[in-house]
Amino acid sequence: MGVTILQQFPMLENRTGPQTIDFLTKRVVALGAIQCGQFLVDCDTYMSTPSLGPQRTVHVMHNSEQPASVFSLLESSGKTIPLVADGLFDLLMLKMTPIYTKKQTKVESKGPRFELADFCIKLGSVTISQNFKGVLVEVEYRPCVVPATCWDLLREFLQGFLGSCVPSMPPQYLQPRMNEIYQPMDTIQQYLEHFSMYRKASGVLQFN
Amino acid sequence: MEPLHTALGAIKVLRCSVGQVFSCLANGVRADHGEEGRDAKFLSELDELLSSVTQHLRDVEQAVNSLSQPPGPFTLGNTSFLSQECTQERQALYSQLVLSYKWTDKIHEFSNLSVALLSQNSLKRSYTNSSTAKRRRAPTSSHNVPPQNVDTVISSIDRQFPDMNISVSRPFGANAVLQVTLSRVLQAVVALKGLMIEWVVVKGYGETLDLWSESRHKVFRKITENSHAAMLHFSSPTMPELAVRSFMTWLHSFNTLFSDPCKRCGNHLHSALPPTWRDFRSLEPFHEECKH
Repeated sequence: MGVTILQQFPMLENRTGPQTIDFLTKRVVALGAIQCGQFLVDCDTYMSTPSLGPQRTVHVMHNSEQPASVFSLLESSGKTIPLVADGLFDLLMLKMTPIYTKKQTKVESKGPRFELADFCIKLGSVTISQNFKGVLVEVEYRPCVVPATCWDLLREFLQGFLGSCVPSMPPQYLQPRMNEIYQPMDTIQQYLEHFSMYRKASGVLQFN
Repeated sequence: MEPLHTALGAIKVLRCSVGQVFSCLANGVRADHGEEGRDAKFLSELDELLSSVTQHLRDVEQAVNSLSQPPGPFTLGNTSFLSQECTQERQALYSQLVLSYKWTDKIHEFSNLSVALLSQNSLKRSYTNSSTAKRRRAPTSSHNVPPQNVDTVISSIDRQFPDMNISVSRPFGANAVLQVTLSRVLQAVVALKGLMIEWVVVKGYGETLDLWSESRHKVFRKITENSHAAMLHFSSPTMPELAVRSFMTWLHSFNTLFSDPCKRCGNHLHSALPPTWRDFRSLEPFHEECKH
């Protein structure tokens, strides 16, 4: 598991989602990357019934990179409790329908997956219940496990094919965790951060 | 051996004095005996010589008496067959002996000259040191070092770098295999033979370590390749400890593998790889393509 950075790519008004993905695909292939299948990250959100005291939210997420795991994030009174479980967790959630009800619509990011030397690049188009919302680019540098040591390297790589939209600071979520060993959960947390941003925004995000 | 030498010496002296007696007799009365009473002088000289002969004969007898019987037959090697041939001419030994004597004489002379020249010449290419203090020290061997010495060398290197952890195991008998963990950047297996580095494999942090399989990541496969070059570069049969120490110092410089940009082009990446080359002397980072 290497360090992953998730980055929004700004949508231009005269370009549709698939066109943007095509545009980025051409750039990535020009660098020498090879397409290795597709990827999918999805997020279902459940709310606890109001009769059980203060309301809690559970996000249940899947990542095709870790196909045997289910990630869940429980938001309660300002804290987020992460949990990694195996596939049976989905069935458990079905049994819990009296307590947790599926409230919000499903958010997905899917698209082509590329490999270039030790980098893994994913160009995802984000949809909220089939409505296109924007483009999320995920870049993983697999040999390195500590974000602080390879942030400059990753930023250089991201800027190389995304241009000036890449900020000079690491993502908000990673900043307090720069010197810790990167976990798959950290990728999921970054996705959740971006997904909730897309949910709040109405229509397609123009710029980040 | 000593009494034999004295006996042979005594015989030589005896032969000499007998020879003097005969030469005196052969010469007869000489001019230096003068005119007067020359016969008497001649006789007294002869008398003196004869008495010295008897004295030397006594010496010989004394020396021979003190000799002991040799305990067994002498082992003379092939030279014992020389006695089988009675005619000396057929052996044709004399000329060959003279020739070989001349050769050994020459060799002796030349080697003396060359020693004198070489000891003055300071431009030495080999590590042999002519100073007597160093010569007395046992010659160092890189591959036949006791395990305790290896352990002390490794633990001193381990202490030298706080962020590099080295553990020693001996799965193949006496020879040590080192597992090196360099902060949270990389891991390496180093197989030693005595204090000589035989094999190096570099892998990523968290990958399973073994001696034979390659790393999943391209960057560590490249570093494995480069560390083989380093292992050959630093190898020094006469100073094995220094070789291991220099190699470990070089390997330690990779703790900034992902964070240091290339010294030449200033970028982090070149063909999607970080600077995988470290200069052997300055330990500065370079890309594979930028090192020349």
